[in-house]
Amino acid sequence: MSGGEFYRASSVQEALDLLAKYGAKAHVLAGGTDIMVKVNRRQLAPEVLVYIGECGLNYIKDLGDKVVIGGATPFAEILRSDVVKKKLPLLAEAVKHIGTPAIRNVGTIGGNLVTASPAADSSVPLLALGASVKLASKSGERVVPLEGFFKGPGETVRKPDELLVEVIVPVPDKDLKFAYHKIGRRKAGTLSVVAGAVVFKAEGAPRGTALARDQACYFEKCTQARVVLNAVAPTPLVAKRASALLEGSALDAELIAKIAKTAAEETSPIDDVRASAWYRRQASEGLVKSLLERIVA
Amino acid sequence: MYTLELKVNGRAYKVEVKATTTLLQVLREKLGITSPKIGCETGDCGACSVLVNGKLVKACITNALTVQGKEVLTVEGLGRPGALHPLQLAFHEHYAAQCGFCTPGMLMAAKALLDENPKPTREEVKEALSGNLCRCTGYVKIVDAVLAAAGKKA
Repeated sequence: MSGGEFYRASSVQEALDLLAKYGAKAHVLAGGTDIMVKVNRRQLAPEVLVYIGECGLNYIKDLGDKVVIGGATPFAEILRSDVVKKKLPLLAEAVKHIGTPAIRNVGTIGGNLVTASPAADSSVPLLALGASVKLASKSGERVVPLEGFFKGPGETVRKPDELLVEVIVPVPDKDLKFAYHKIGRRKAGTLSVVAGAVVFKAEGAPRGTALARDQACYFEKCTQARVVLNAVAPTPLVAKRASALLEGSALDAELIAKIAKTAAEETSPIDDVRASAWYRRQASEGLVKSLLERIVA
Repeated sequence: MYTLELKVNGRAYKVEVKATTTLLQVLREKLGITSPKIGCETGDCGACSVLVNGKLVKACITNALTVQGKEVLTVEGLGRPGALHPLQLAFHEHYAAQCGFCTPGMLMAAKALLDENPKPTREEVKEALSGNLCRCTGYVKIVDAVLAAAGKKA
């Protein structure tokens, strides 16, 4: 064997035929920013590469109440997209912090999700927005909520003959409140120590903001609440208990502290080269607190 | 083995590659074009930065066969002795190179920026160079050089 086989899919159908034929032997190649790193480190010697970078999966479609992004759309295109800027500002904000310009030029949204790093950058805004992914195979298509997509580090519910063809993002109400932040070891081109997003819809005018900070009630009722963190669990994490605390509640300083503490309790981080588990848990609490405070500020 | 046809700095080439050969290996080992450097080989340091169809990429993690039929630009195609590119002149005038290892990648990243945004702000230059590491200069002179070259005709 002299380094495996390479197939260039000229259409999605051709890619699906190749995946049906080669199954688990096949590795789907788009931008290569994950796969080629593994090849260079000799952690991966793919028997079959199926290149999908030029098979028609590079698009962003505005379907009114949702935005559909082709699986092989590079982050640079997402960053440039007026549709994303206007309708999914949280995604636009998070994509700015992915990799560096050369990585964003080729690295794709589908690749980021299928690689299934617990630190996957795009997972945070997409989970916060309740996105789904469309998986296609020769025998049909299925739509899986992103929340049920990840199984563990590097593992997803994708079957070997399936291709992630689309990311489907419901367009949130214009007044959805959101905040995103990524904590890394350096400012650019880094994997997260922890990154997080908080989203919710506020009902009722803020009241009492003129009062002392610890007495103010910022919003009378919060709905569609989600607290999301990455790099602090085997998969990107929707902090369910923290989200539930916020849902339907009046948001005040006491609740902010409680949500942050609860989110940190829901994490199960590990020690690695970027940070210790202890630090990650502390940082998770601080991050969620500061995200909520940024929204109410 | 697979046959890869590509253009580098305006010249057409045909080379034999494996399924996992990188663009950097093609440039350095098959074509003898050595301005792109072997640094981290993980897409982090930017020393191998080149343009493919005008887009900045890291050649070390670019699968060569994905460049089939495309045009690659390296520093060798940027300018010539006696006819340097404005960026090269500016790097020279602002002492933007010390050991020089990162310089070809810096030049290509800067070229990609100025092609898209001819009058960048200092912050935009820093962002554009964020994928290129330099351990000598502290970046200030590199950023100065890119700003000085901005707006000058190639």
